[in-house]
Amino acid sequence: MEKYAHDIIIVGAGLAGLRAAIAAAEVGNKLDIAVISKLHPLRSHSVCAQGGTAAVMREKDSYDLHAFDTIKGADYLADQDVVEFFVRRAPREIILTEHLGLPWSRTSDGKLDQRPFGGHTYPRACFAADMTGFHEMHTLYGKATSYNNIKFYDEWFATSIIVENNTAVGLTAIELKTGEMHAFQTKALVMATGGHERIYEFTTFSYTTTGDGMAMAYRAGAPLMDMEFVQFHPTGLIPSGALITEGARGEGGYLINAKGERFMKNYAPEKMELAPRDVVSRAEQTEINEGRGLEGPHGPYIALDLRHLGEERINERLPLIREVAIKLGGVDPAKEPIPIRPAAHYSMGGIKANIKTETPIAGLYAAGECSCLSLHGANRLGTNSTAECLVFGAVAGEEVAKHALSNSLKELSKEKLLAEEKRVFDEILGSEGGERVPVIRDEMRHVMNEKVWIFRRGDQLESALKEIRALKERFKHIKVQDKGGPFNTGLVDALQLDFMLELAEVTIVSALQRTEFRGAHSRVDYPKRDDINWLKHTLAYYTKEGPRLEYIPVTITKWQPAARTY
Amino acid sequence: MSVGVEKIVEFRINRFDPQTGRHYVSTYKVPVRKGTSILEALQYIRDNLDETLSFRHSCRMGICGSCGINVNGQPMLACYTQVLDLKVDVLELAPLSNMPVIKDLVVDIQPFFDTFKKIKKILIKPEAELNKLVEFVQSPMDLKKYWDLTLCTKCSICYSACPAAIDQRFLGPSTLTANYRFIADSRDEGLDERLKPMADNVWLCTSCNSCTLFCPKLVNCSNAIIDDRSLLVESGVIPRTVKDVLESVIKYHNPMGSHQSKRMDWARGLNVKAFPEVAKADVLYFVCCSAAYDMRNQEMAKAMAALLDKMGISYATLGSEEWCCGDHILRLGEKGLFEELAEHNIGLFKKFNAEKIVVLSPHCYNSFKNDKPYADAGLNVQHYTQFLAEAIDKGKLKTSKTINKRVTYHDPCFLGKRNNIYDTPRQILQSIKGLELVEMKRTRQNSFCCGGGAGRVWTEEAVPEKRPCVERLKEALALDVEVIATACPFCVTTLEDAVKVLDVEGKIVVKDILELLMDAV
Repeated sequence: MEKYAHDIIIVGAGLAGLRAAIAAAEVGNKLDIAVISKLHPLRSHSVCAQGGTAAVMREKDSYDLHAFDTIKGADYLADQDVVEFFVRRAPREIILTEHLGLPWSRTSDGKLDQRPFGGHTYPRACFAADMTGFHEMHTLYGKATSYNNIKFYDEWFATSIIVENNTAVGLTAIELKTGEMHAFQTKALVMATGGHERIYEFTTFSYTTTGDGMAMAYRAGAPLMDMEFVQFHPTGLIPSGALITEGARGEGGYLINAKGERFMKNYAPEKMELAPRDVVSRAEQTEINEGRGLEGPHGPYIALDLRHLGEERINERLPLIREVAIKLGGVDPAKEPIPIRPAAHYSMGGIKANIKTETPIAGLYAAGECSCLSLHGANRLGTNSTAECLVFGAVAGEEVAKHALSNSLKELSKEKLLAEEKRVFDEILGSEGGERVPVIRDEMRHVMNEKVWIFRRGDQLESALKEIRALKERFKHIKVQDKGGPFNTGLVDALQLDFMLELAEVTIVSALQRTEFRGAHSRVDYPKRDDINWLKHTLAYYTKEGPRLEYIPVTITKWQPAARTY
Repeated sequence: MSVGVEKIVEFRINRFDPQTGRHYVSTYKVPVRKGTSILEALQYIRDNLDETLSFRHSCRMGICGSCGINVNGQPMLACYTQVLDLKVDVLELAPLSNMPVIKDLVVDIQPFFDTFKKIKKILIKPEAELNKLVEFVQSPMDLKKYWDLTLCTKCSICYSACPAAIDQRFLGPSTLTANYRFIADSRDEGLDERLKPMADNVWLCTSCNSCTLFCPKLVNCSNAIIDDRSLLVESGVIPRTVKDVLESVIKYHNPMGSHQSKRMDWARGLNVKAFPEVAKADVLYFVCCSAAYDMRNQEMAKAMAALLDKMGISYATLGSEEWCCGDHILRLGEKGLFEELAEHNIGLFKKFNAEKIVVLSPHCYNSFKNDKPYADAGLNVQHYTQFLAEAIDKGKLKTSKTINKRVTYHDPCFLGKRNNIYDTPRQILQSIKGLELVEMKRTRQNSFCCGGGAGRVWTEEAVPEKRPCVERLKEALALDVEVIATACPFCVTTLEDAVKVLDVEGKIVVKDILELLMDAV
């Protein structure tokens, strides 16, 4: 095992990771920064973010309004100090990326344009057509690669975080090109590895968003917070699940059921299609469950109708989703409605971190979707996630830089490195059982889809938990067919599945305990929000027997929980 | 709930085992449904048939750029290509070209990303302006000027298909386009800095158009590179070789460095007429500078005249008034000079009421068809292969002699990739008795450029092994052919250069189709 050392290591090179690297590099050009990612940075899932990035840019809008929208959208589970800090920092990020060259869409007088989005009471989504995340990524990558003190380890798969005395001191990673594992020493570590939605069958997410960082941090002793809250996006394209931006409704698109009705009038008469995602997804699922879905070759669906926007506006504001709908769904949105249904889209939960992105483990930070601060509470508003990646990616970069400047490198214990080698190469790659990774993976995804979907029930969750635990057992008896070193994607699949099974278990256990109906967590057996018992965050700690749960209070600054209607 | 299987498609996948260094092919049968993408087929193989197959993928919606591969010789994104759309029962999959293979379909993308390190990918502006926390103003119209160029996902497909990229000095289509994207951004003030990294290598682009043809996001890299060059030409920072070509055109109206009065020397002793010496002719024969002045290529000019005579067609050239069509000049970035040449030629076409123009060079053909102001002049133009294929078809031209030779055909980019003329040249070759036509691995739309386009035929300064013509000729040599035929004077020049470089004069001959036809009639 070769050893590498850097002052700061950032795992993950999506929006949060790149933003953190830039912020750290800005603190000092003497800091030696490494970005480790299992993908080339530009292949990160952040490039799939479409609709926009929320920020208060105009006088008619206000920080309080953005904060309140976010908190109400969160069904009052967000930590309000975090929200208040966030809304104040977001505009700076828009300007910064604009100054780097991001091609933001413009108003006729040349200013940054903003579009409406679900749950926001002011059109505050800055956007670059419907490729916002793509352009943010390419812009930040352009900036990040301009520093001499940021070293990129592209296509290095991190496998574990090494913690000594409750302090993160390094990690192990496999260089995919050679298949060899190496050890990294560091003074400060940022996890920016994204969500875990590939635990589901029908998801908007890239194949590579498997929650590795969450699982690594969890195993290293950091608690995962609010993992029961998984967002289902109302418009996943059928059959692939590819994202059709909420911006399509922001631009005026309709949701139609089999009776030809804009059914949102029955669920959110005021906001209609632009209610928050939990509300719209529940409405769609209800329409489908009650037999008002349209019938297609892939099962019942809802129609997203953009035809009345006209071809010109679609081309100007939504060019990517038109292309994607044609290429992947075989429908041209300018001519026919797009078949969609809710798809697993975002994890409100993640590695517990505070307003400075610090986790309970010293030297370990988390930013972006893999973290939970909690900015989004029980339900995230569209366009707040890219904004979060920028704002808290920057915070993480500034904070790790400070930490790295006042700390020194620590030795990595040999036993831990050997144990990780044994786990990866002997127990996983060397396993000679009869189970197959793709089979276990598909069964896991099926269980999550059937029993841990939008509407949840205690008995189903219990049954799902049993099944996932049985799959975890079966995983011990897998066989990876490819025994080679270089670019062994069979091994990568196995490592990712191992992580996903862990996270599926945490998601279910957290969901089972929370006996209320809040935000994206819709317990049909407990159909009311319960502020008396459940206005609190779930913390899940790793134990060999499965997650141990604890709860901590929600930070309320000035918005008391109130009824949530749209 | 599911969609029925439409057919079973055979996937032949070119693989590489890095541990043994073995290249081999694995064959799989994949059930394909309506909507199945190549990526989904690959996943089917890995999940059900062979877990050891390695390929990259991530977003499956054409935006992350991970899954570029060669499918039946053409680079494309696996996720953005539906199997049924390809309308074949067998697919050959291979890793992208121009980059070393790591394993199976996975290539090392580092050489591609290294090119981006040479340019600045953020706005260049005075520090004081960048530090102000206010947005810069940019009108939607100004945004539109570069927006399309921002859509590049850096999938490396263009780089893989690029003939110039075999020389690592070349920044490649994607990077040169990214550079122009910033130049064209109204907010940017870094023109001088941005010209530097490309000044010595942008000239390697041959305008073959492969980058643009295969780009999954339809980014017009080929045009962006011409725009890059225009700015360099304007700034005057251009290599001596390019300067020489442009100066020759300014001075003589041709890039061959020879006086216009000698333009008709090739026809000495032949009965070739010119306007206005003849007042009217059915065909205006536009010769091309290379065929008129280059000793070797004069054979083509003569052959065409002889064939026209043989068919008894009334034709005339523009004589010494024919100016360079300007294609190479436009693509070297001298747009003003191109327009001057075009206006002159259009003026003559009008003056002599040219009802049908037949050209020798695909470059003249493309310019007359597609480049303004020619394109707006409504010219009735045919490449000679079209004209002669028609004549053969109608029995006006008969190929009576037998040529017992094994021949391969090299598609000129300006005929094929830019104008979709693939069949007519082959029809002519197949009309010759005894001639056995065999195809190179890269053919038709996937053809590999000879390296002569966009002025490079005159400005070539790459070391021999980095010249596209050499790589191309090796492909022909692998077929054991006696003749590599083509239909373009510039391809003839570059391929003959390759014959000399590889020292294979006894093994293979470069012939234009016109010459083969002359031997056959």
